[in-house]
Amino acid sequence: MQIADNRLKSRKGVENKAGNQSMRRALGYMGRYPKVAVGATVALLVATAAQLAVPQMIQNIIDTIVNGTGTKAILDLPEEVQTAMVTRLGLDLESMQLDLDNAPRALILAGVTIVLFAIARGLFSFAQAYMSQILSQNIAFDLRNDLFSKIQRLSFSYHDRNRTGQLMIRATDDVERLRIFVGQGLLMALQALILLTGTLIILMLTNYRLTLIILPVLPIALVIFMVFGRLAQPMFREVQGRLAHINTILQENLAGIRVVKAFAREPSEEGRFGDGLDDLLDQRLKIGRLFSFLFPFIFLVANLGQAAILYFGGRQIVEGNLTLGEWQKFSLYLIYIFIPMGQLGFIISLLAQASASAERIFEILDAKNDVKNKPGAITISEISGEVEFDNVTFRYFDSGEPVLQDISFRAEPGQTIALLGSTGSGKTTIINLIPRFYDASTGRILLDGHDVRDVTLESLRQKIGIVLQETTLFTGNIRDNIAFGRSDASDEEIVAAAKAAAAHDFISEFPDGYNTKVGERGSTLSGGQKQRIAIARALIMDPHILILDDSTSSVDLNTEYQIQKALDRLMEGRTSFVIAQRISTVLNADQILVLDKGKITAQGTHEELMNNSPIYADIYHSQLIEDAMPNNQKSMVKE
Amino acid sequence: MLDRQAFLFGMETSKARSINSTLRRLWAYFRRYYLALLLIAVAVVASTYMQVLIPDLTGQAVDCYLAPYGARTLGGNLPGAIPVNELPNSGNLQESGAATNCWFTTTDLDATAGETVAGLGALVLLIVGLYVGSAVLSGVQFYLMSWIGFHVLRDMQADIFHQIHRLTLGFFTRNESGEIMSRVTNDIDAIQQVIGFGIISVLQGILLIGWIVLRMVRLNVPFAIISLSMLPIMFIVTRWFSGQARNAFRRARMEIGSVNADLQENIAAVREVQAFGREEKNIEQFRSSNAANRDANIKAQAYSTALAPTLEAFSYVNLALVAVIGGLAILSSGTLLGTTISIGLIITFIAYTQQFNRPVQQISVLWTNIQSAIAGAERIFDLLDEKPDIKDKPNALPLPTIKGEVLFSNVWAEYTQGEPVIRGINIKARAGDTVAIVGPTGAGKTTIINLLPRFWDVTDGQVVIDGYDVRDVTRSSLRNQIGMVLQDTFLFSDTVMNNIRYGQPAATDEEVINAAKLARAHNFISLLENGYETVLGERGTGLSLGQRQLLAIARVALSDPRILVLDEATSSVDTRTERQIQEALDQLLTGRTSFVIAHRLSTIRNADQVLVLDKGKIIEQGTHHELLDAYGFYYDLYMSQFRREEESTKDAPTDFAAEGAFFVPGD
Repeated sequence: MQIADNRLKSRKGVENKAGNQSMRRALGYMGRYPKVAVGATVALLVATAAQLAVPQMIQNIIDTIVNGTGTKAILDLPEEVQTAMVTRLGLDLESMQLDLDNAPRALILAGVTIVLFAIARGLFSFAQAYMSQILSQNIAFDLRNDLFSKIQRLSFSYHDRNRTGQLMIRATDDVERLRIFVGQGLLMALQALILLTGTLIILMLTNYRLTLIILPVLPIALVIFMVFGRLAQPMFREVQGRLAHINTILQENLAGIRVVKAFAREPSEEGRFGDGLDDLLDQRLKIGRLFSFLFPFIFLVANLGQAAILYFGGRQIVEGNLTLGEWQKFSLYLIYIFIPMGQLGFIISLLAQASASAERIFEILDAKNDVKNKPGAITISEISGEVEFDNVTFRYFDSGEPVLQDISFRAEPGQTIALLGSTGSGKTTIINLIPRFYDASTGRILLDGHDVRDVTLESLRQKIGIVLQETTLFTGNIRDNIAFGRSDASDEEIVAAAKAAAAHDFISEFPDGYNTKVGERGSTLSGGQKQRIAIARALIMDPHILILDDSTSSVDLNTEYQIQKALDRLMEGRTSFVIAQRISTVLNADQILVLDKGKITAQGTHEELMNNSPIYADIYHSQLIEDAMPNNQKSMVKE
Repeated sequence: MLDRQAFLFGMETSKARSINSTLRRLWAYFRRYYLALLLIAVAVVASTYMQVLIPDLTGQAVDCYLAPYGARTLGGNLPGAIPVNELPNSGNLQESGAATNCWFTTTDLDATAGETVAGLGALVLLIVGLYVGSAVLSGVQFYLMSWIGFHVLRDMQADIFHQIHRLTLGFFTRNESGEIMSRVTNDIDAIQQVIGFGIISVLQGILLIGWIVLRMVRLNVPFAIISLSMLPIMFIVTRWFSGQARNAFRRARMEIGSVNADLQENIAAVREVQAFGREEKNIEQFRSSNAANRDANIKAQAYSTALAPTLEAFSYVNLALVAVIGGLAILSSGTLLGTTISIGLIITFIAYTQQFNRPVQQISVLWTNIQSAIAGAERIFDLLDEKPDIKDKPNALPLPTIKGEVLFSNVWAEYTQGEPVIRGINIKARAGDTVAIVGPTGAGKTTIINLLPRFWDVTDGQVVIDGYDVRDVTRSSLRNQIGMVLQDTFLFSDTVMNNIRYGQPAATDEEVINAAKLARAHNFISLLENGYETVLGERGTGLSLGQRQLLAIARVALSDPRILVLDEATSSVDTRTERQIQEALDQLLTGRTSFVIAHRLSTIRNADQVLVLDKGKIIEQGTHHELLDAYGFYYDLYMSQFRREEESTKDAPTDFAAEGAFFVPGD
């Protein structure tokens, strides 16, 4: 609850100038597709013009009908009345007859014109919709690509601060909201404006007095929209917040279903969820009330405008200043004033959402990447594998506490360096600095004498193989996963790597062998199997430097043994940095670094450390109690 | 398994399979709010009536006031103008006036300008009144409908949540939680989109269309037929477009699925991606799935956006037909197929045609949404229909406080029919015993511990606690007395205090702290920024794996269960934390009947019984010593571990071995 609240608060300050600026940048993406953008606009103009012409045609038809019936009435009069009228009104009977004869043709012509306009309207508004789809989908495509590329390249420190879910929302939801605005909102706004001004001009030209009567409606409607927009936006945000809250509960209950069941907490979880639902319901009803007022109100204003035209227009007709056809046209055009007004209200809310999204998108695209290639960075090819830390200090934030302090050591080619220490002592940070997942705050890390920041990231990381504790496999088959870092690897190489990693046997037992699909996050494989594939994945890179966490996740004893053997094989002949969890690694290491609170408190071989480091002795003992006991026990049993 | 595939596959299609039964079940949700529904029905009918009345009145304005006046003063108000009523052939005006049935005046052709305007004013006032009335009514409708809609939505969500708790773990192993989650939110979203405004629009639209058609027919049958002639074409067009759009959207949904999968996977694993230098290859791959998504979407959107302008074009054609044919009829004979046509009638029909086109367009555009809402509802009902295999018996009794004696007698269990994972297992654990379960992956270890708290039920045999078959007692009373520490510790985004208190919401702060101390968690908690009040991030982020385990142990310690189920997670923590966990567990195990999936030899060694499981059967059973002497499966398992330790200790300096006194060289 608290978390959801905080998230909400931080979102409230979002709309500001930054939003507008981001919006402008997002619209700049349109510049990449000038043809489609111009095409959509032209199509829009034609479609709108066709739409505006229709009421004019209807007026022509009605005027023709009214004149025709009038003329017909006169022509049908008895001769003497007719002549009297003609002389008194100064009419020309012949031309009247001609008009009447032409009237049906004029009607049909007007009708055909309407059909032509209808076709034009249909075709061009489709063309417009299609082109704006192409435009907006392409912009979304570009934005997503840019986001993905940026995210893939952003350094670890960025990913430490941001969660996958949050980044995903920006690449999906925010891009989509922006796309909707570009694809619909923008052109709709343009169309609404054209329609509004075009209609007003036509109305003014037709009858400025009537136009003045409905003119006040416009500013009134505008004010209503703005007020409602102001009121509705924070309410919608609140809904999003409460929605996020119930989604969190749902997600936790799905992910932690065993815990919920184990503690028989279903009723109270349902209560919590129910409360969240009620909160959400309250807020939604609040919005419901607002809109139950807004929508009918807008329609009422529009309708009152219609009623006013009926009355005042009627008066003008009686006064003889307006024809029935003109009046009919006027009320048809009136619709074209109110529809765009309604649209503008909708667009304002789209725009507000889209600019918030644009801002969130550019936040990522503008994020500074701490770790990147220096200009003129060199490519290293053959290295011996000598690694030196030269007085390295590292802090995650510029001002924060150092996580590593004055670390200096030197690993000769082929050596194994074991890192020991409690959680938070800095072991992981040390291994993260070698492939430049982070850069040292001060000091240098040298690889064969090159500062790692002077070489290209690609060539550096190619030399380094990594096996981490939690193994992530990727969707695809086992073969792809082993060849993850070297997509050009041959089948022989893949099988060789799998054999060395003690993975070949179990892979061969699958019906599809190396083509076995690995489910999302590798879920069809057991922990031990995943770990062995990860080892194969590192082996195939044939790295000069190896970084690994030698713990084995909970697997049965036999599997654990196989994994350990594979790891030992992996380390042979490579400079290895191992976060050590087992005794054999420590005993075999050429150097052991004992870390505490970011400093090396002891350094040396096992023998050396046993003699002069109490911390090491302590750690060693606590480990040995575990491992040596069965040994002891075993011998007792055998006695 | 096949059912499951059908379930998931069904989600990909947006067309409902059995509309009738789905609608019936949806109706059941709505029926609860019948009073509000009744009110809505009244409001809809009333406001629709008003909406039809208005064009009628507008027509009257023309026929009763404006047209007669215009006709009479054809040449303007010249003195001596011949009154139209004296004209022999002016009957059609009068007749049409009678046809539209003027409310406030008979077609009084003698009316002065002032009288005409006054009459018109009265009519307009009535129209204004109707507009206000219909605005109020539609406000009421809108509110009531969203009120019902959101209540229905809440009810459905509550039902879903309830169902999730009723379902067995089997369901969650078959279905990804993310999948269930996104389905639930998306489907609820689809329903939400049509609930409220959508339903009202459609209902009112249908009513309005019906009503207008009726009015048109009553006014003039042939003219009505002409005015409606475009309707069948519009219907066919809508069907075609929505069919195409549906197929295209189905594709688009699949494509966006793969875009999302790409994003999810490569962002979550960005560290691996960078470590193996896969960025460029991934970006290239993403471009292609992103492009496929773009193309599918352009196509889908094109179909759905083309519908509205197409229908609009047809509505213009409709308008032209009405005006031109009506006009021609008036000009030629004043009749259409034997019926009288007036200008007022034409204007009324134009107004009707316009009024009529709006709901037609609205319904057409909403049609796709409605279909996907029904499909969404269907999927929700599918989820609600999932049978919870495990439920309390009707006459289940609460399990009294137990000693903790557990008996498995000839237990069989299977997740998929015909593929037993447990085959005839017998276990007898006395109160306070520790039972260690060992065996290779897939041997059935987890299934055994799932049977105790009834996460799963036996297919044959029985599990008995203190003489009670677990199926005869209520699940809550059973689970309250069983504590579980699982391998991956799940923590809620809540305070540390509340996370420990999870099983015992009534526990005092002091009790929580005591439990934390017992679990060796107190020290690190005290070091956290806000101590026990620290809010944990998503799934306990901010804590190390070991610390999370300590919290899970504290959580169980607080519940003080008689029976303990433990899935040992070992080596993922540093040695010091490991030792703390070990101590905490040892203390927790004391005096409780415990079932442990063991990875540590110390646990196995201390166990009262060790069960060696393979392929669902107990192949060896006894104490550690007994099993070693048997030289069987367990011996091999043990030896592989032993050999490794011997290797690692070979290089150990002998002085240490002597000094440590833990290590005695092998025989």
